Amino acid sequence: MVPGPFDIDPLVWLVLRLLIAVVLTLVLILVGSMVLIYLERKVQATMQDRIGPYHVGPFGLLQTFADALKLIAKEDFRASQTDAAFFIVAPALVFSPMLASFVVIPFAPGIVGADLNIGLLYLATLGSMGVLGIVIAGWASNNKYSLVGGLRSAGQLISYEVPGILSLVTAVLVVGSLSMVHIAESQPGPITNVFIIPLAFVTYFISALAETNRIPFDLPEAESELVAGYLTEYSGMRWGTMLALTEYGNVTIVCAIMSTLWFGGWQGPGVDSGPITGPVLGVLWFTLKTYAFILVFMWIRATLPRMRIDQLMSFCWKILIPLTLLNLAVTATLLIAFPETKVPVAIANWILLGAFVVGVPLIQQRRLRKLRERSRARTLGAAVAG
Amino acid sequence: MSLDLIEPILFGLLALTIVGAGLGVVLADRITTSALLMAFTFLNMAGMFVLLGAETVAAFQILIYVGAITVLILYGVMFTPQAPRAYGLFFQKQTTVGAVVAALAALPVMVIAFAFRDTGSIPPRGGDLVPLASSIFTDFAFPFEVASVLLLAAMIGAIVLVKRE
Repeated sequence: MVPGPFDIDPLVWLVLRLLIAVVLTLVLILVGSMVLIYLERKVQATMQDRIGPYHVGPFGLLQTFADALKLIAKEDFRASQTDAAFFIVAPALVFSPMLASFVVIPFAPGIVGADLNIGLLYLATLGSMGVLGIVIAGWASNNKYSLVGGLRSAGQLISYEVPGILSLVTAVLVVGSLSMVHIAESQPGPITNVFIIPLAFVTYFISALAETNRIPFDLPEAESELVAGYLTEYSGMRWGTMLALTEYGNVTIVCAIMSTLWFGGWQGPGVDSGPITGPVLGVLWFTLKTYAFILVFMWIRATLPRMRIDQLMSFCWKILIPLTLLNLAVTATLLIAFPETKVPVAIANWILLGAFVVGVPLIQQRRLRKLRERSRARTLGAAVAG
Repeated sequence: MSLDLIEPILFGLLALTIVGAGLGVVLADRITTSALLMAFTFLNMAGMFVLLGAETVAAFQILIYVGAITVLILYGVMFTPQAPRAYGLFFQKQTTVGAVVAALAALPVMVIAFAFRDTGSIPPRGGDLVPLASSIFTDFAFPFEVASVLLLAAMIGAIVLVKRE
């Protein structure tokens, strides 16, 4: 049990600590998603040669506050034929696992909710729980589009969980611990994990894009042609919780995982300089690394078109999962064969990464050629028959 | 007041929730309610494992049962066409049979549970991942492999069934 400060009874401190942590996390998520929504609009506007929000406040800084106020003030609306209990529970089911994930994220040396020795397993577990809420939301809306959208999203999330977790396992094999704090501490030098297992990073990055419903994998909320999937019937703050808060919270978490596992988390120059400056600098490095990944996510959103569901599924099952399995097997074998050095693992990973980068376009080209030939044969056959 | 006093309270709360939600799974007249309550039961079971000091087992419990199996069941429910109220009647007709079967199953469990009442407390185990993993791959390697082969057979069977047309 943790003894409390100012002679507070340890038991009271136990409850108080939990309350403080939850409130702090909620504030972090709320403010963070407001900042991220503003950033997203500004970054995309810059990339598309527009100005973006600029009316409310200086540089449009207060635009997201205005939007949030509008969402909260909106009527709490529910269509009459929806399933009341499930319809109300679903946003909470999507939101709460994301909230609980922040417990194990190490923000700086000593600044972590709980140093679980199964930290990464805990994160994977909570990541798999959000699917339940999405399926329930689709079903409770009592709407064919929502139902199909919910099932489509669940299929996508379950499929991309597999390569995501396999990539995490590869990183865990190299570090030798599941604790997020240990993983961050194990990478002090300039040689972080990304130089040792770059392929695991790339595969995790792709699955993280899919698991957070970001472009090019944002079929769950494709508002332009798939009527926003399971979100069709939602509006007001329920929509805001499900889409804005959860999406940006999940993006923050996967980016934090990436920066901790592959880029050393809070490690950076000056983190052991003192009891005050150390943690402050740690938080600064951690935030900078995490936001760098978030900016890459936004860059991708402004650049790439949306994939089709069959392309998305076949890419996961035919390319990503075999590749991550192969990577896991190769890494495990090399780690057991050469327990002292990680150089062979690094060499094998860089070779596999090269094969992946060169191989995928080749495979795609061959498939396209075959498809074209088949369609040409079909039109020729139709012409002969006609 | 210390943690020793809280533990029985937590245990009682979890046990009551598990039994209540379990009853709800059987008695609810809508299959989706049953599925959600089942996920809730699994979550509380995970809480029980944490109370026993087996965090790893708790995490796997949620990962597999809440994240995978309940979603699979919901998939099954949603792809099955349902006539209105037909599923409610299905359960109502079998109340007596169900009660008898449940009592028969509960009897040996209670007998075994009360037989272990005076053995004293067993030190909590399973919280640490390393001994768990090494015992799976050394002492229990054979059951583990048999289970893997079983799952592989089920997977191949599912692929064959789907590919038949």
